[in-house]
Amino acid sequence: MMNTDNSKPVEFSDYYNPNIYTWCTNCGNYGIHAALKRALVAENISPGNTMMFFDIGCNGNGSDKILGYRMHGLHGRAIPVAVGAHLANRKLQTIAFGGDGASLNEGVNHLVHAIRSDYNILFILHNNENFALTKGQASSATETGRVCDACPDGPVESSINIMSFILAMNPSFAARSFSGDIHQMTDVIRAGIRHQGFSVVEIMQNCPTYNRYSGHEWYQKRVYDVTKLADYDKTDLKAAQNIAQDLKEKIATGVLYEKPRGDFYSKLVNRKDYKTELVEEVKAGEIGKLMEAFR
Amino acid sequence: MSTKRFSIKITGASGQGINSIGEMLAKALKNNGYKIFAYREYPSLIKGGWSSYQIEISDLELASSEEKCDLLVCLDRESFYHYLPTVDAGGVVVHSLIKLKLNETEPLKSGARINEKKYLEDNKIQIEFIDAIAESKSKWGKGIFANTILTGFIWKLLGEPVAEIESELSTFFKNKPEIIPTNIEALRYGYERTTELKQFKLDFKKDNSWQDSYILSGNHVLALGAIQAGTRAYYSYPMTPATSILEYIAETSHQTGILVKQAEDEITAVQLTIGSMFAGTRAFTATSGGGFDLMSETLSLAGMIETPLVVVLAQRSGPGTGLPTWSGAGDLNLAVNAGHGEFPRLVLAISDVASAFIMMQLAFEFAEAFQIPVIVLTEKQIGESLYNFKKFPLSLPIQRYLLNGEALKTVKSEDRYQITESGISPRWLPGSSEQTYDANSDEHWLDGSDSEIAEQNIQMYEKRMRKLTKLQKQLPEPVLYGNLDAENILVGWGSVKGAVIDALAEIENPEKFAYLHYEFMFPLRTNKLNDLVKKGKKISLIEGNYLGQLGKMLQAEIPELKFTDKLLKFNGRPFFVDELSSYFSSK
Repeated sequence: MMNTDNSKPVEFSDYYNPNIYTWCTNCGNYGIHAALKRALVAENISPGNTMMFFDIGCNGNGSDKILGYRMHGLHGRAIPVAVGAHLANRKLQTIAFGGDGASLNEGVNHLVHAIRSDYNILFILHNNENFALTKGQASSATETGRVCDACPDGPVESSINIMSFILAMNPSFAARSFSGDIHQMTDVIRAGIRHQGFSVVEIMQNCPTYNRYSGHEWYQKRVYDVTKLADYDKTDLKAAQNIAQDLKEKIATGVLYEKPRGDFYSKLVNRKDYKTELVEEVKAGEIGKLMEAFR
Repeated sequence: MSTKRFSIKITGASGQGINSIGEMLAKALKNNGYKIFAYREYPSLIKGGWSSYQIEISDLELASSEEKCDLLVCLDRESFYHYLPTVDAGGVVVHSLIKLKLNETEPLKSGARINEKKYLEDNKIQIEFIDAIAESKSKWGKGIFANTILTGFIWKLLGEPVAEIESELSTFFKNKPEIIPTNIEALRYGYERTTELKQFKLDFKKDNSWQDSYILSGNHVLALGAIQAGTRAYYSYPMTPATSILEYIAETSHQTGILVKQAEDEITAVQLTIGSMFAGTRAFTATSGGGFDLMSETLSLAGMIETPLVVVLAQRSGPGTGLPTWSGAGDLNLAVNAGHGEFPRLVLAISDVASAFIMMQLAFEFAEAFQIPVIVLTEKQIGESLYNFKKFPLSLPIQRYLLNGEALKTVKSEDRYQITESGISPRWLPGSSEQTYDANSDEHWLDGSDSEIAEQNIQMYEKRMRKLTKLQKQLPEPVLYGNLDAENILVGWGSVKGAVIDALAEIENPEKFAYLHYEFMFPLRTNKLNDLVKKGKKISLIEGNYLGQLGKMLQAEIPELKFTDKLLKFNGRPFFVDELSSYFSSK
């Protein structure tokens, strides 16, 4: 099932939702939304052909600031609910969004299993290194000792380098960008949409209110695009793992790793001969033969 | 001992093959024109412990077991301890326990439950030792034909001709044809074996048309009901007693094309399910109490975003890990109350195979018609017992309650959560229009956009809750079985039905009783019960839990309702027909 009217090219304004944004001035989410819309327009995917699944958090509050078939679901669960929808109808573009809290704290298991399962969806991981919507508590991406809300001495736990974590799971696509670079975000989101498999795009995100440590200017001085490196091989997992480690001095961005290996659905033996999507197949099942086995 | 049925218990440690003996006998008996019901008890371990496969034989259709048995077959000592006290007076015990020493001391030696020698003598129970493994070894050089020898021997005790069990054995081993000839020899050897034991004669009318009947577990039929209803995806995490649903749907997935995913946990399973339902296919998940606990946040989500959801809650005895492989019906309160906040839901309870088939279809029907979560309760007793029946109940037509065709051309985003009198708003699937919406778990307004405006919040809340009122009106009243004018009314739900109705068919004074059976558990219909209360009937409660959960729900609706008796059972066992017959006879 898919909206078939693709005669008209998709425009940026098609995604316009009149609801007033509720993010802080200079929040990284503005840039991410702009890049997301640009990528969808560039891929000529209309809102009616998009399913978006938002987590709880500041990024989730963008669910009604854009168009598309959206679900603003439960904390930590954007990935599995998006996967369920995708498996039912692969003709639509499925995108899930979650913050560092949703992806590395509450719902970390889903991220792990989605990577190893190769579901063909795009996951945009908003990493602002804190729980911003609840006013700035530590997440597992918050640096050890960084003073924050409800943690006057800073967390004593070691922090997780999200991209290193993702690359340790042997993904088929992993990209990183930062919310100050709309062009690069657009490019990596487009690459993620095109990749057949589970595409993770980590976006290091400015949080002007609760993360005073690493703002846009801080990132701007440190990031570099791996595609600009003469000898970077994005199919080399070890190289990606090495380059992803540095979060202090020189921060690698762009598509760090991509190696297609077929997605989950296409590997299902019992679905090989089906030309239809699960949404198109709902009708009374044929149980006659199945019942015969029990006589 | 009931004269309406004959029961055999085959008992042993896990791994000794008692299920194969049981299955072969059950099918052969059915093929011979008898009606059967089979019930299994087993521990939560892979090897050892004690377990039983019990077959009831009758010329009546059965949906329950006796606690007592007429013939006990024992393959290990621990089973002997546990099951000897269940052998009825005049019964027979066949065992293969080398150097069995009967306990005859008081107080008892550890392990034994009774003075075994005295029990055998007092009840005139015949006992015979067959060293089936040794006999198998001496005849064929290895012990593996022991169970086949025993099967042949049991068949002889039942007084049935050998041909039928031979043909069933060949069917049973059809994937290993090379082992059939020796097994047939072993079967005949067991059948022709001399014995001191009396031979039973199954004194039931044979029904030749019954040879074509089905033998299925409740979980098989539940899955078939879901397939009939157009299920295209099944997501689950293994948990007894729901695991056999996953196994069956996976095993048949090449025939059905159903997408099966064993999820990383129950939270994922139910999220995958609601995601697929949101996109517009039919999907469901099944689990037991512990897994269901993890799903409760998603029930609440489904209530808020008004997306259909079907979850099967296969009950076992809790709390905690509880009795993982035993039955129970203690999760009614859970099904009715799980999930934060207030939202409309439907709770259905399966009582047997016919009900499993219908309820799964109704679950999808109501979930989509009302855009609500539907919880289908079942029990280990229903899911894993084997029912013998001739005809599947009716298949219901599939309706989707979705906008399509012309309606999609004029639809607006704001229609999705339109405030309507019934509370049900138009729903259309992702991809079917460029008018999109937000299925928002935050409180929202018409197109799903956030709203914290009190007037809108009240309207949307009331809209959702109005669905509950409409739903309640559409649900049927409970069914009254037995003598409709009887003075004594028993009220219950779930697997209780089979045992009560079977008992009513076996007692001398059935006219004194009727049974009011609930399958639609929430929202509750109470008009029929209320009438009975007003007429001054003696109402008693029967449930597989400690609190009498349905009873309390009914009393909340009918304050005058007092229960004369409460039959509550929470030891992992189902209600047995003989215990209910004794109850009725005492009245």
